[in-house]
Amino acid sequence: MAMIDRRDFVKLVGAGSVGAGAGFMLAETIKHPVEHLIPYPVPPEEFSQGIATWYNTVCSMCSAGCGISVRTLEGRAKKIEGNPSHPVNQGRLCALGQAGLQVLYNPDRLTAPMLRTGERGDGAFVQTTWEEGLAEAANRLSSLRASGQVDRVCFLAGGVRGHVGRLFERFMAELGSDRLLNCDFGHAQTLYTASELFFGERQLPYYDLENTRYVLSFGADFLGGWLSPVHHSLGFGRSRQGRSGVRGRFVQIEPRMSLSGAAADEWIPARPGTEGILALGIARHIVEEGGYAGADRAAWAESLAGYTTERVAEQTGIESATIVRLAEAFAGTRPSLAIGGGAVGNHTNGVDALVAVNALNYLAGNIGQTGGLVFNPVPAFGPTARAGQSGYRALLELAEDARQGRIEVLILNATNPVFAMPAAAAFEQALAEIPFIVSLSSFMDETTALADLILPSHTYLESWGDDTPEPGVGFTVAAIAQPVVAPLYNTRATADIILGLAQELGLGDALPWASAEEYIKASWREIYERAPPDAATRSFDEFWRSVLKAGIWGEETRREAAAFTVDASVIARVGVAAPEFSGSSDEYPFVLHPYSSHALHDGRAANLPWMQELPDPMTSVVYGSWVELNPATAEELELREGDLVEVQSAHGAVTVPVFVFPAIRPDVVAVPIGQGHSEYGRYAKNRGVNVLEILAPLVEPTTGSLASSATRVRLVRTGRTARIVKTGGASRQLGRGVVQTTGEGASAGPRATLKGIPITVEPA
Amino acid sequence: MSFFDDFLAKWREYRKPGYYERFDYAWTMTIDLDRCTGCEACVTACQAENNIPILGEAELAKGREMQWMRIERYWEGEYPDVKLRFIPMLCQHCDAAPCETVCPVSATYHNQDGLNAQVYNRCIGTRSCAVYCPYDVRYFNYTDHQWDKPLDEQLNPDVTVREKGVMEKCTFCIQRIRQAKDSAKDDGRRRVRDGEVQPACVQSCPAEALVFGDRQDPESRVSSMMDNARAYRVLEELNTLPSVVYLKKVDGNAG
Repeated sequence: MAMIDRRDFVKLVGAGSVGAGAGFMLAETIKHPVEHLIPYPVPPEEFSQGIATWYNTVCSMCSAGCGISVRTLEGRAKKIEGNPSHPVNQGRLCALGQAGLQVLYNPDRLTAPMLRTGERGDGAFVQTTWEEGLAEAANRLSSLRASGQVDRVCFLAGGVRGHVGRLFERFMAELGSDRLLNCDFGHAQTLYTASELFFGERQLPYYDLENTRYVLSFGADFLGGWLSPVHHSLGFGRSRQGRSGVRGRFVQIEPRMSLSGAAADEWIPARPGTEGILALGIARHIVEEGGYAGADRAAWAESLAGYTTERVAEQTGIESATIVRLAEAFAGTRPSLAIGGGAVGNHTNGVDALVAVNALNYLAGNIGQTGGLVFNPVPAFGPTARAGQSGYRALLELAEDARQGRIEVLILNATNPVFAMPAAAAFEQALAEIPFIVSLSSFMDETTALADLILPSHTYLESWGDDTPEPGVGFTVAAIAQPVVAPLYNTRATADIILGLAQELGLGDALPWASAEEYIKASWREIYERAPPDAATRSFDEFWRSVLKAGIWGEETRREAAAFTVDASVIARVGVAAPEFSGSSDEYPFVLHPYSSHALHDGRAANLPWMQELPDPMTSVVYGSWVELNPATAEELELREGDLVEVQSAHGAVTVPVFVFPAIRPDVVAVPIGQGHSEYGRYAKNRGVNVLEILAPLVEPTTGSLASSATRVRLVRTGRTARIVKTGGASRQLGRGVVQTTGEGASAGPRATLKGIPITVEPA
Repeated sequence: MSFFDDFLAKWREYRKPGYYERFDYAWTMTIDLDRCTGCEACVTACQAENNIPILGEAELAKGREMQWMRIERYWEGEYPDVKLRFIPMLCQHCDAAPCETVCPVSATYHNQDGLNAQVYNRCIGTRSCAVYCPYDVRYFNYTDHQWDKPLDEQLNPDVTVREKGVMEKCTFCIQRIRQAKDSAKDDGRRRVRDGEVQPACVQSCPAEALVFGDRQDPESRVSSMMDNARAYRVLEELNTLPSVVYLKKVDGNAG
């Protein structure tokens, strides 16, 4: 008995005296510590969690339409990476796309259909079943149909593309209403109109950044969040260092330095709204002195006669010498590329300015050229659902109709107009006049909070769908979206909800598909049948399986680079007026520059904790809003970082802390868009301000889209301060040489080593 | 030879540049600053791959960041001739790492692939390594971190979740390196092919600024990148011999 140790004692107690159950419990309480303390950087030999399955689908975080591969283990999505076969992103993916996991696993998702119980906006809802929810919606719709008032049904969808977008169109057509509005607030309409006016094509051109040697970008933050940032970044990287002996140069013109401005060789802060005038000044120089030899030279000379270098210099605040230098570099470097977008399109002269940029490309001979501007061919399976894109004007009309009592039912899908519309448009008040609002949102956003019935849809990672990316890649690609995990909650795919509604309404004959999956498969059968090589060589099932596996299908045909000429009437119309602003410069001395937040996009990503914690690339601020001031302006107003100021426009005010930003014009203040949600879950709610609220309701006259950069503001000190939370340390290098630079032409040179390790060599 | 002499001899050997190149791999990353746009795709890729916690505003306000891969930003000049320079900053996996020599419990050590590895359950949280690190890339868990359910479903099972009191940092995605080695072994290959291992940040980079591989292999992409005359290492004068090599940004106006 003398040699008994503690373990044996426990065993004896367990076996002999107290009984097995109590003994087991005692043994559990005082058992030996775990013996192997090796952590998972070296996993235990016997530990294996199985092989991951990767599903290819389409990213829906912005409108670029990148292909993604989702890593799943045991039915859970673990990571999103780019689909290497997808020509848009080629395996790469931006921060926002990768944060899509947090849409799927967001703790604030809507989990079941709900009916409003209290007053609108109280947030009081009661759960219901899908049967009851769909029946309720169908009742409303069928009673309107019976009374011939079906045009009082409006469907507001947020930039939905592909066959799901087509399904919406068919559903509304069968229902008998033409009020289908497809509007994406992060996607400018002005670009389409500028294309249509100059090129006669209502589509976004493809910018061949990869092969260009000189980029002149007017306000387009194409590396940050504009159109297709991942594809643009790929092109940018390759144009910089992907070709031997050639390094693409790049000039960015914008009032506040964006991510693209930081990447540029030269950043030129022209007066806001005068970028189009600058483009025409450059154009005139190319025509008059740059040796433009086109047959329409005389027409151009006449049209551009007013844009003399001196006058343009005066209007834009850019020195004459700079204008001449830009013109010579742009026309003299082959191929070159001019890109216009972002804030430039959001002025009252937005479309004209973008047309001016198109004209620059034409005069330099970049249309249809490698390294220039290319149009996508029309796919063999027909045009894609995008042309019916509606914008701010359509929303204003909707609001007006609602106020007049001409809207009975509003269906909302993947859109949040209450957040995105300026307060001056009184959109929220107009919604109050609509008797019945159905929201298909996955989240309780500001607009969904006003709904009477919520039929929550799956997230994109649980849904079927497809997409033709825009602006695409210069040839036709179509990508398939498939569920990567089983649905988490009692939600349904948007297409399934619409098909279910169609069933309830007796439209089943016209929309006969039993499910979204069946519908998408049937749609792809059409693609298969219209694409001869596939139909001849393999069965549809083989085709379908290969498409699901690859996630992508494409036609390697490019459009013929036909000689492109511009009609004389188009040339005569080229011209950019001075921009108009809301408010006088005496009363409101600063132009407000609202810009899409890099992480939060147009506000849709504010409910994703990764995106809230992603430091803003230019300022390193996390979790909040701020107003950017030039150091000279801040000094003049005696404002320092963290001083709370009221940013007042003629249409409202927001209170934000000051951030002193070295790269913004002194007469411009900038506020990021994205924060300031009053709903939208725990991570987004009551954080920062929504600058869109205070915008003046000025519009660009051609398209009727909101001129969101045309508001003047003043700053009023509140006397209070707030802490701006930001990461990172010193904002200057202080001679430490962390980021080193070198001149151009230093790519060849000897490599030196120190004890076998290569060391830096300064080029001679 | 006394124990001390023996120790000293080994120590000197270990501190010699190139020591880690005798082994199978010398993992290296090159970062081309002329391609980098500062878009932070790498940052989110790292957060996702390595189960980096969501800290919350209050923690961040205390300066307790946790980004194994972060973007540093430095302004140069004044308006209007102002430039912003980005540099991705991560553990440099120094061959002569100051953090390793200072750890009282050897929680951080160098493995034979040249990786600076952190043994979480050996760490007692003295934070000395963070003080010694000239690159400021070591992050301490001041609290236990929670993932609001069901955000925990996205956690990567290949990577352990760290707890309060433990230092953590970039591992060059050691789990991916191990997986690649395993699959090479399964295929009967002795070595991992160039490009077979890509840490999450390298995989995601939209501008293809990041390249990862074995610098001992003269044919590898990192070797050719390191051959570039623009190659340099950050704070080279400290002689920490980093395994991250940067390529200088080309200043378009300087040339």
